[in-house]
Amino acid sequence: METDKERYLAICHFERTNDLFTFDGFWNRTLSDWVKQGAPKQIFDGGFRANYFGYGSNYWLTEIHSGLEFSRGQVLDLGSGIRIGNWGTVPIEPSYQPKIISEDDRTATIINGGGQKVRMFKGHTGKMPMYLEYPVNNRDSWKEYKKRLNPDNPNRWPEDWKAYAERVNKIGQEMPITLQVGSLFGFLRESTGTEALLFMFYDDPGLIEDMMDTILDMEMVIVKRVLRDIKINQAAYWEDMCYRAGPMISPGMFKKFMVPRYKKLNEYLRSNGVDIILVDSDGDITKLISLWLEAGVNLFAPLEVMSGMDAVALRKQYGKNILLQGNIDKRELAKDKEAIRKEVLSKVPYLLSQGGYFPVVDHNVPPDISFENYCYYINTLREIAGLHKLSF
Amino acid sequence: MISFLKISQAVQDGDENEVIKLVEEGLKNGMVSSDILEKGLISGVQAIGERFKSGELYLPEILISVRAMNYGLEIIKPYLINTNLNKKGKVIIGTVEGDLHDIGKNLVGMMLNGNGFEVIDLGVDVPPFVFVSAIHEHKPDIVALSGLLTTTIINFPNVIDAIKEAGLRNTVKVMIGGAPVTREYADTIGAEGFAENCASAVDEVKRLLSLSNNI
Repeated sequence: METDKERYLAICHFERTNDLFTFDGFWNRTLSDWVKQGAPKQIFDGGFRANYFGYGSNYWLTEIHSGLEFSRGQVLDLGSGIRIGNWGTVPIEPSYQPKIISEDDRTATIINGGGQKVRMFKGHTGKMPMYLEYPVNNRDSWKEYKKRLNPDNPNRWPEDWKAYAERVNKIGQEMPITLQVGSLFGFLRESTGTEALLFMFYDDPGLIEDMMDTILDMEMVIVKRVLRDIKINQAAYWEDMCYRAGPMISPGMFKKFMVPRYKKLNEYLRSNGVDIILVDSDGDITKLISLWLEAGVNLFAPLEVMSGMDAVALRKQYGKNILLQGNIDKRELAKDKEAIRKEVLSKVPYLLSQGGYFPVVDHNVPPDISFENYCYYINTLREIAGLHKLSF
Repeated sequence: MISFLKISQAVQDGDENEVIKLVEEGLKNGMVSSDILEKGLISGVQAIGERFKSGELYLPEILISVRAMNYGLEIIKPYLINTNLNKKGKVIIGTVEGDLHDIGKNLVGMMLNGNGFEVIDLGVDVPPFVFVSAIHEHKPDIVALSGLLTTTIINFPNVIDAIKEAGLRNTVKVMIGGAPVTREYADTIGAEGFAENCASAVDEVKRLLSLSNNI
């Protein structure tokens, strides 16, 4: 029997078509709502979900703090109904000490582990907060923050590296292994705030370059160290630098500030056998795709339909130069079975027939998609792939 | 020689120092403050909005342009006391209850301000009754609702219902915006307006105001 690793690589290398390798991320509230709707209580467990829904597996090396942080899987309870940890931030070491600064009946203002001052709803770990202040707002604060991006900080690494590498390489016989390789735009935005960052491209481009170089240097050290001892198959960037109208910065700025830095890291990855390089960016990424390809990135997610992304059109335009993940419209899955079927049939048969595609909901599965609808969606995918239906 | 065109260009370039210099010199040379506002500053922001819509420019250029415009506006404000600054229309804007996102809303507010509209920003997580109170207090032409998530835009109809229940629905037009929002959705919930981005929001406000004036 083939392993998930063999299947994943074969799909990415266009050596296999019509193979359903699917998986999804979820908002916490979605899962708690589903339990009320009759889903098994174990649904909160990732391993259980993978088995239950027939997902393909991919092992992400989150024990190495190189990419978007999710508080290392922990949820911190600050009291007053404020639980944090399910929201990503820059992999700084050390992280800031989370604390509540003030609160009212429904919300609390806190400093989170990323050093951001945010206002959050009480009792909703999954809801995005309102960002009030950021840790980096000038060159002086950057100088302080920069110290937290030291690749050699031991807390960035698993304690027993040798044992870890052995364990992961063993896992890697069965599953593809993914290393997060950071973010150029996304990490800057998380540390400065969107508006301040966009101003900075004009007001202090030298600071932008220093920040990007610091991240690049950190990631390069991490990648070199990991590749020395661990066989990885995929590298993953997280950027989230587009919205429904397109990129937040111009393709010209992207080319000037980001492409050369991506190239440096990606050329190293590719020369060491890592030829699947993912970028995760919400929104309409159309205008950046050719530049990301030029920079060595070849797998794109989540291809949000509501922002106009069309995986079928991308496959026709870029052929086998591009790998695609996502593009299942979450809004359609929230409707009814007819809408779900129409959404799946409109793209999945063609995309699977071409290879290089992973059907995934275009961002985390939101709570307005019912458990029943999601189960129907999974079985519709399986029907297309010629697999037996699952009993839920 | 100072010209409105130069002021407009400096705004488009996002060059606040040049805007300050040109506006100060313009006032010294007898330019009328309301003309500086309309033909120089607002004209510059309008031009940048058009270039944004055409895909030539992006958000950083909008931001530095509006910032430059605001520097100029601060200088001429004392001279505009007897001018009806808000003659273009008044817009109440807010992110609906349950949603704390504000970047899109802020950009729309900035662009409307930059185009000469009066904007009252109610902030984020705004419950329906606050929109209603604000309509009573400010008597706006338009109420603009923002929401980022599929799970929060379902609160748009609650605001519209609250406005109806308060007997104010005929006094305002409602427009909506946010990542998951479409014109079709606006039609479904009975909102007159919809904007895809901060620049098209300006066009939509103008369109809605023209509808109001035709009533």
